[in-house]
Amino acid sequence: MSVFTDRRARLLQEMAGEGLDVLLLYGNAWQNDYLRYATDFGILEGQALAIVREDGIALYVDSAIEADRAALECTGIEVVHAADLLDEVDKALNRLSNRRIGTAPARLIPRKLAARAKDLNLGDRTSFLDRLLMGKLASEVDAIRRACKVADEGYAVFRDAARPGRADYELIAEAEAFFRSKGVDDNFQIIGVGGPEVRGMAPPSGKKLKRGDMVTTELTPCVDGYYAQICRTLVIGEPTAEQNKAFALYREAMEAGIAAVRDGVTAADIARAENEIFRREGLGDYVTDQYTRVRGHGVGLFADTKPHILEDVTTRIDAGMTLIVHPNTYHPVVGYLVLGDVVAVTKEGCEVFTATPRELFGQPA
Amino acid sequence: MRRGLMGWNAEELPKAALEARIARLRGAMQRNGFDAALFYTNLVQPSAVTWLTGFTPYWSDGMLLLPKDGAPVFATALSKRVANWIRTTDTLSEIVNTPKPGAAVGKRIADAGCKRVGVLEYDALPAGLFDEIAGAAPAVELADISDVFADTRRLIDDAERALISRADQLATSALDQIDVNGATDAGVVAGLVEKHARLGGAEEAYIAVAADLDADRRLVRVSGTLPLAGRFAVRASVAYKGAWVRRIRSFARDEAAQRVYAAAEAWLAQVASSIEGGRPLEMQLAAHLKTLPGASLRASMAESSIGGYPLAAVSDTPPAGSFLVLTLALSLGGIPWVGAAPVFVGG
Repeated sequence: MSVFTDRRARLLQEMAGEGLDVLLLYGNAWQNDYLRYATDFGILEGQALAIVREDGIALYVDSAIEADRAALECTGIEVVHAADLLDEVDKALNRLSNRRIGTAPARLIPRKLAARAKDLNLGDRTSFLDRLLMGKLASEVDAIRRACKVADEGYAVFRDAARPGRADYELIAEAEAFFRSKGVDDNFQIIGVGGPEVRGMAPPSGKKLKRGDMVTTELTPCVDGYYAQICRTLVIGEPTAEQNKAFALYREAMEAGIAAVRDGVTAADIARAENEIFRREGLGDYVTDQYTRVRGHGVGLFADTKPHILEDVTTRIDAGMTLIVHPNTYHPVVGYLVLGDVVAVTKEGCEVFTATPRELFGQPA
Repeated sequence: MRRGLMGWNAEELPKAALEARIARLRGAMQRNGFDAALFYTNLVQPSAVTWLTGFTPYWSDGMLLLPKDGAPVFATALSKRVANWIRTTDTLSEIVNTPKPGAAVGKRIADAGCKRVGVLEYDALPAGLFDEIAGAAPAVELADISDVFADTRRLIDDAERALISRADQLATSALDQIDVNGATDAGVVAGLVEKHARLGGAEEAYIAVAADLDADRRLVRVSGTLPLAGRFAVRASVAYKGAWVRRIRSFARDEAAQRVYAAAEAWLAQVASSIEGGRPLEMQLAAHLKTLPGASLRASMAESSIGGYPLAAVSDTPPAGSFLVLTLALSLGGIPWVGAAPVFVGG
């Protein structure tokens, strides 16, 4: 069975267990995990809604070119090109009266449909889907393991492309070409180039690499719908003693975080393990939201899925979850620095999927 | 997710151009009784906000409030740390970082005493944002402003024309990389075209391939290995600084089809340069088709930027001074051909 077949079978079984007759799922190229869980469609342009029932799944797509693609790529799904997406789905929901219909993600369901919650018996079931998205099946974990391998290879391509004089977007172009040849249909990637003035990562701005620059990246290829992330930092030329010293701290923090991962702990436990290393060195300010967003997060059908690894997130970590542990933050001496590995949670601890060495790479200048 | 070149510079998109767009829209808002307007944006529906401010989100979402006077307000769930980056691409707006962008703009319109506020693509507004706005501004009437916006936005200015032309250069040059006789694998071709577009500074590049045109003219996003047949087509949808085009080119290994495709390409270029405003597109296409020997139309689509989407299907009569992407599927004496080109509507 394919990972999608596994996933669909689980979804229908869990819907029955929840007393749900129908699911209404929304997706676009930014937030597509809920829709992809049920349809396996990786939408790029426009928006889509799926109506999931025990006897079939209908996928409504408002873009003609995406409907063409969905019809070719999605097996066992009814694909409808709905130029007026809301009107078509509204009509379809009218035919489902007296059913219990769950929606996800409720926040993104179009207003016109959400306004009919009472008469259509719609209820927010985002947390139900979140539970399925976080707790992976064995075949999903295998898919993420495969994606991690491609992420490692993609980082090697990125690293080789990093040379003085090249623009930041050229490095990403090289990685993207590699990904297309490897079956990667999407990638989330941001980049930082420079020194202490760099406070975070963003899309490329055209900055040219020069000797002494640190180049940070978070590279997140999508393989068969599953995103795997790798965070690494390289230096154009030989890293300085200060850069090496700072990097050693981040490596220690990441390894402390990974050591804390096991079935039954909370997201906060992992974040705390990472942050204590910074606090010990008097760098506690730099693990606050003034300097960093999260200390890791789930990976799966969304590049930045739940749970977020933060000291105030009490979500229980269960075997079968997949996470990236990344103590990425600003360092007051050398600038923004990143390091992150993907792990799969097991009963006893975790399995690390990322194979790229935990090094501060020096690239020939 | 966007990961190509993103940035703003005054030479390509002068502040004066943005201010003129905002002034045009404010005039239309006033004529139609709107006290302010709201625009939702994410990376799939970025275009209205890009047109007004130059900003495109690479991730997450937000709402732009255009009051009847004063600076626009951009409220986003992107973190405060990202505000510095937003500022590099949006030099006009006040930026508000908040976990509840709808509540933030709702409070602004309520505090300003707005009575009627337009919302672009109101029916499709995410329910979570709508609840926040309605909760913060319960007395304000919200109404759809999509038609008013489309009428104003449809006519492109010199700055947009230049950005579209640059996007088209990137798409055309990327497709030029394909060696029809050397190309055997669709995934490799897609990677080659995408890489070239991104090396040229594309903000985004979606490459799709019809690997065997004789069997199926539908184009799919290809990655991995897929053999190319003797006749295939490649579509490059390319964005540069928020301006999008599509180009489709058909390729053939046999000389007979190569001659037919060369004639069709030249014909498409001629069509693209001669579409006139104020006349139904269908009629103009029908007249042009008569000039291409053996051609029969299988499918056609016109797209333009009229709302949140970078390109959305349009079926009305294009006004002079507007922009279209024209996609055509033809049978040329039994040989399948697909093509697409940008059109600056004249007249």
